[in-house]
Amino acid sequence: MNKIIAWVDQRFPLTYFIRHELTDYPTPRNLSYWWGFGFLAGFVLVIQIVTGIFLAMHYKPDSSLAFDSVQHIMREVNYGWLIRYLHSTGASAFFAVIYTHMARTLYYGSYRRPRELLWWTGQGLLLLMMATAFMGYLLPWGQMSYWGATVITNLFKATPVYGDQIVTWLRGGFAVDDPTLTRFFSLHYLFPFLIFAAVAIHLVALHTVRSSNPSGINLADKDNIPFHPYFTIKDLFGLGIFMIVYLLIVFFKPDLFIDAANNIPANPMQTPADIVPEWYFLPFYAILRSVPDLAGGVVAMAISVLIFAAMPYLDRSRVTGGARYRPVYRAMFYIFVIDIFVLGYVGAHPPAGTLKVVGEIGTAIYFMTFLLLPFVSRWEEKYVLARGLPPAVEAMARKEIAEAEGNV
Amino acid sequence: MSNNKLFGLIFCLMFPVGATHADEAQLKRGAHVAVEVCNTCHSLKYVKYSDFLKLGFTKAEVDAMRGAKGMADPLISQMAPADELAMFSTVPPDLSLMAKAREGGANYIYSMITGFYTDAKGQTANHVFPGIKMPDVFMIAQADAAGRKDIEQKARDVSAFLEWASDPQAEERKTLGRYVIGYFILLTVLLYFLKKKIWKRLG
Repeated sequence: MNKIIAWVDQRFPLTYFIRHELTDYPTPRNLSYWWGFGFLAGFVLVIQIVTGIFLAMHYKPDSSLAFDSVQHIMREVNYGWLIRYLHSTGASAFFAVIYTHMARTLYYGSYRRPRELLWWTGQGLLLLMMATAFMGYLLPWGQMSYWGATVITNLFKATPVYGDQIVTWLRGGFAVDDPTLTRFFSLHYLFPFLIFAAVAIHLVALHTVRSSNPSGINLADKDNIPFHPYFTIKDLFGLGIFMIVYLLIVFFKPDLFIDAANNIPANPMQTPADIVPEWYFLPFYAILRSVPDLAGGVVAMAISVLIFAAMPYLDRSRVTGGARYRPVYRAMFYIFVIDIFVLGYVGAHPPAGTLKVVGEIGTAIYFMTFLLLPFVSRWEEKYVLARGLPPAVEAMARKEIAEAEGNV
Repeated sequence: MSNNKLFGLIFCLMFPVGATHADEAQLKRGAHVAVEVCNTCHSLKYVKYSDFLKLGFTKAEVDAMRGAKGMADPLISQMAPADELAMFSTVPPDLSLMAKAREGGANYIYSMITGFYTDAKGQTANHVFPGIKMPDVFMIAQADAAGRKDIEQKARDVSAFLEWASDPQAEERKTLGRYVIGYFILLTVLLYFLKKKIWKRLG
C-alpha cells in the first residue's frame, strides 16, 4: 500500500493534497457550530445529486407522463417514496442550511477583506442553487409547478424591447408546456454539477484566505489546530443533529414542504386560487409584489438577492469581529433577520389590506438596511473606538484605519 | 408555508413517533364505500385492485369487488368520462391523491361529504364547496338523525380510506422512520462523546 502511494506521490500530489487541504489544514480553534453549515451544505448537495440520479432513472420528462411517473416512483419503485422524499425535503434543507451559512457570514462579518472573493463565489452558488430549485419544482408537473413556472418566466416580460421574445425563448413556446418541461429537466440535471464545480472554487478561495473566526482577530499559529480530527468530529456531530431533524421530516412529515395544489396535475386552463412559491423564495416574492410596477418589482427582487455581494463595500467599519463588538450593526442584523421572516409571511399570503402595507414597509426596511450601512458603519466605528474595545481588536482596527488613510 | 404546516412542523418535532393510524376494519369499510359508491363516477387510477390485499382483504373478497376487472387493473370510473361530461358538465376528479390535494386532507373530504344541506330555495348546496357539481350521493341533506349518524360513519371511513390511497406507504414509512431516527440519535450521542474526548487533548 505504502509503495503504491509513494508511486502516486511521485506523479501526483496525493499525500500533500490530503495533508495540506484536509488533515493538517490549520483551522481556528474557536470556531463555533455556526461554522459547520458549509460542510452541511456540501453534504446536502451530495444527497441531492445521488437521490436525483436515482429519480431520473424512473422519472419521465414528458408533460403527458411526468405526473404519473412521480406516482409510479411513489408507489411502485422499491423505496421510491424514500428517494423522492429525501430529494424534495433535501431542497428545503439545502436552503435552510445555506441561509444559516449566509447569516453567520453576515453576523461575524466574514465577507470582509480579504474574503470578498470567497463571499462572491458563495453568492454565485446561491444564484445557481435558486435556478436549480426553480427548475426542479416544475418537474412533478403539478398545478403549483406549472403556475409557479408561468409566473416566474413571465417576469422576463419586464426586459425592455425584447420582453415577449425572451419569455417565449425561455419557455420554448408561448406558454409553459412540454418544451419547457424537457429543457428544465435537462438543465436541472446539469446545474448541480456546475454547483459542484463552483463549490470547488469556493473551497480553493476558502483555503487561500482561511476561515474567519468569531474573535475577529487574526489568531496566532498556536491557536490554529489541524482540521482532522478536531473539526472532522465536530462537523460529524453537527451532521448527526442535522440528519435527525431532516429525517424526522422525511419520515414523519414529508408533505410539509409540498403544496397541496401540487398533488393536482398541471392544468393550463385553471389557475389555482393563490400561486405561492416555495418557502425559500417567499421573502423575495414579497419584495416583487410590494413594488406596484412589474419592471420595478423585478429589478427590486433581483437587487434584493444580488445586493449581498456589495457587503464588503457597504460595510465601511474597520472594527473586526462582525456584530460582536458592534452594537448598532448587531441591532441591524437582528432587525434584518426579523424583516426577512415578516416578508416571508407576507409572500405566502395574497397582498391585500394591512398585509400589503406590511410588505411595503418590510421591503423598505430590507433596502434601507443596506443603504444606511455605509453611513451607520462609519459613525459606529468612531463610537466604538471612543467607547473602548478589547486591546487586540482595537489594535487591528487602528492598523486597518492607518493603512487606509496612508493610502489616501 | 401555511400556518397549518408550521404547526405540523412543530408538532412533528415534538411527537415524532406518536403517529396515529386508521384501523384495518375502518380502511376496509372505507374501501367498500369507495368501490361501490365513489368509483361509479370517480377514478382512482393510482390504486389497483391488488392493492386491496395489502389492506387485509382476502383474494376472494377482492375478486368479488373487482367483478370482471383484472387484479392488476386500476380503479377506473364505471361511467365513461364523455357521459360524465354530458351529465354533470364536468369530469369528476381522480380521487387517488384527493386526501393530499386539498388543505385539510381527510378532514376536508369528510366535511365535504357531510356538508350538503337544503338551502332556502329548496336546492341542495354544500357548506364546504359552494357550487359543487357532485350530487349528495348519501342524501345527508334529507337524512333524519339516525340516518345522519350512519352517513357520517361512512364519510369517516371513506375519508380514512382515501388518506390511505393517497399515501399507501405511510405505515411502512413511519415504521422504518422509527428505526432510522433511533439509529441517528444513538450515533449522534456517540459522536458527541467522541467529540468531547478528542477535544480534551487540546486541554
